[in-house]
Amino acid sequence: MTTITAATAAPAPPVFSRIWRIVRLITANPFTAIVTPWLILGTIFLLNWLIWLIIFANLGADQRSNAQEGIQWSGAAFYIFVYMLVLAVQAINLSFPLALGYGSTRREFTLGAMLTFVLLSVMYAVGMTIGAALEKATDGWGLGGTFFRTIYFGGDEVWYVQLWVYFCWFLFFFFTGTIFAAMYVRWKASGLIVAFAVLAFLVVGGGALLTFTETWHVLWGTIADLGVVGSVSWLLVPAVLSAGLGYLVLRRATPRG
Amino acid sequence: MSAVIEARSLSKYYGGERGGRVHAVEDVSFSLEENRIHGLLGRNGAGKTTLMQLVTGQEFATRGEIRVFGASPVENARVLSQLCFIKESQRYPDDFRVKHVLGTAPHFFANWDPAFAAELIERFRVPVNRRMKKLSRGQLSAVGVIVGLASRAPLTFFDEPYLGLDAVARQLFYDTLLADFAENPRTIVLSTHLIDEVSNLLEHVIVIDEGRIIIDADAEELRGSAVDIVGPRGAVDAFVEGREVLHRTGLGGLASATIARLDETERIAAREAGLELAPVSLQQLVVRTTIGDTPDLSKGDNA
Amino acid sequence: MDDSRPIFLQIAEQIENDIISGALPEETQVPSTNELAAYLRINPATAGKGVNLLVDSGILYKKRGIGMFVADGARERLVTQRRDRFREQYLAPLVAEAGKLGITPAQLADMIRAEVRS
Repeated sequence: MTTITAATAAPAPPVFSRIWRIVRLITANPFTAIVTPWLILGTIFLLNWLIWLIIFANLGADQRSNAQEGIQWSGAAFYIFVYMLVLAVQAINLSFPLALGYGSTRREFTLGAMLTFVLLSVMYAVGMTIGAALEKATDGWGLGGTFFRTIYFGGDEVWYVQLWVYFCWFLFFFFTGTIFAAMYVRWKASGLIVAFAVLAFLVVGGGALLTFTETWHVLWGTIADLGVVGSVSWLLVPAVLSAGLGYLVLRRATPRG
Repeated sequence: MSAVIEARSLSKYYGGERGGRVHAVEDVSFSLEENRIHGLLGRNGAGKTTLMQLVTGQEFATRGEIRVFGASPVENARVLSQLCFIKESQRYPDDFRVKHVLGTAPHFFANWDPAFAAELIERFRVPVNRRMKKLSRGQLSAVGVIVGLASRAPLTFFDEPYLGLDAVARQLFYDTLLADFAENPRTIVLSTHLIDEVSNLLEHVIVIDEGRIIIDADAEELRGSAVDIVGPRGAVDAFVEGREVLHRTGLGGLASATIARLDETERIAAREAGLELAPVSLQQLVVRTTIGDTPDLSKGDNA
Repeated sequence: MDDSRPIFLQIAEQIENDIISGALPEETQVPSTNELAAYLRINPATAGKGVNLLVDSGILYKKRGIGMFVADGARERLVTQRRDRFREQYLAPLVAEAGKLGITPAQLADMIRAEVRS
């Protein structure tokens, strides 16, 4: 039984379809990535609106403008970003073994996952911008409240700037989730510990640095100068770094256990 | 005859350099021919799953070489698109229902047959709308088996596919596999420790023990390579004189010995000596090769 | 399939038995390799080996595009073959067993005659 030749394989399907099928894999259950977030956002919004109703019903006209200014700083909508971070973690952690089991390469998987996150960021940014437009048109949902146009989202900016701001926020959270998930997939608990340690080091270390060099005012000044748009745009830097690192980390990850 | 998988001195070690190192696969070399059903047999933890993960590029080899369809499978889309390997311990995303698995699999397997998949869902009675997390062990195995069969991938792996499947479902799997293999020939690698159930399906057998290959043979040859002779102790001892004895056991005045294949004359001679000949099943052969002798109870032996 | 001989030989023998008993008359079609494999739950290659054995010995022949058929005169040939083997396959063990039980050749002959009559 001598082997004469090695059997050869038919060529692989085209690159883009190999990456696109990962997008379809991650969004296979449309509820998770597309329906549920809107439901959550809607619910939080509704709750907020009811709370404003209650608050304003008990305030006089002069106190109202104070309250409205306060609401501009409300972080209520941020739950949606936390959801996106968790989504990214789940997608990377659980779709990775299945994608490999189906015969995908790690490269295709990582690129596909990132493409998914970028597309979702665009979709949600558009959705939020529409929400913001409606908010403006209804003059704060009939109560002068702000949900989509809070300070963090560049409340007073023109729509395409707002779109950009939303997009940056979403991208940041998606890719932060990506790097943590990648560390976990590659090195399990140890990887996660290292990731958190690095994060803690950066935050505490950064804070310590600013304190000892007494340059906190420089930080606040820069943020003030950049404005919301500029500051949020800078979030793209850690986002891109996380994406790049995530890619490198997953290159040698295995679907263990 | 072409080889679809070739491994040379393949090794996989886990852990550090010192005592804690695990040799999951140790210096393994073999080649698998195209369009055959190959059996990868061995005890739990012998290295079957690790070996399959190495061959499918899911794990990285520590040493050695592996060629699938002539090239390394690692990060090789061309090779990987010909493979299907759904492990028995396969994890699925939390939000996946069975229908999502069946909906996403076709994108990864060019030969996917949706009608066949639907038929198998019926036959194995898998609830299409249930969450993967809520499936019973048997249903989970069934999904893996269905994907493996319906993918019609040129190189398909079944890693202990029967776990959780009851006897009826297992028989269904074997029958379906055989029928589909006959109609749509492809290379199939089956790992199992229910050896006797699959022994008639296999053409080529590889037995792995503690990471090393101890048997690599044509199934038919292997089956006929040994025979049990049973009879009075004296007669047995006399007959096996000068022969290689693979295994010996006994009870009272009766003894049994497993020896290498006998030709027709020798068989007649054995019968005339008052001995009975019994076949050695593949499972018995594998077990005896991996654990050695069973205690001879009449002599008060301890193994 | 408990016999310790190779499976493909057992398959060949089973087909031969069917031909001799008349279950598979000459010029009729034999089940295909795939059908045999599925029915007996064995690998198609093994089934094929058994069938090919019979093709090689002229018991079966292949009609292209249709399948395997029992050759003309196959039954006669097989019967002759079997007669030759009858002695060592049945007769020798019979005599040995009779010897073990202390049955004399004369008694054996009587027993055989009685068996044939019943």
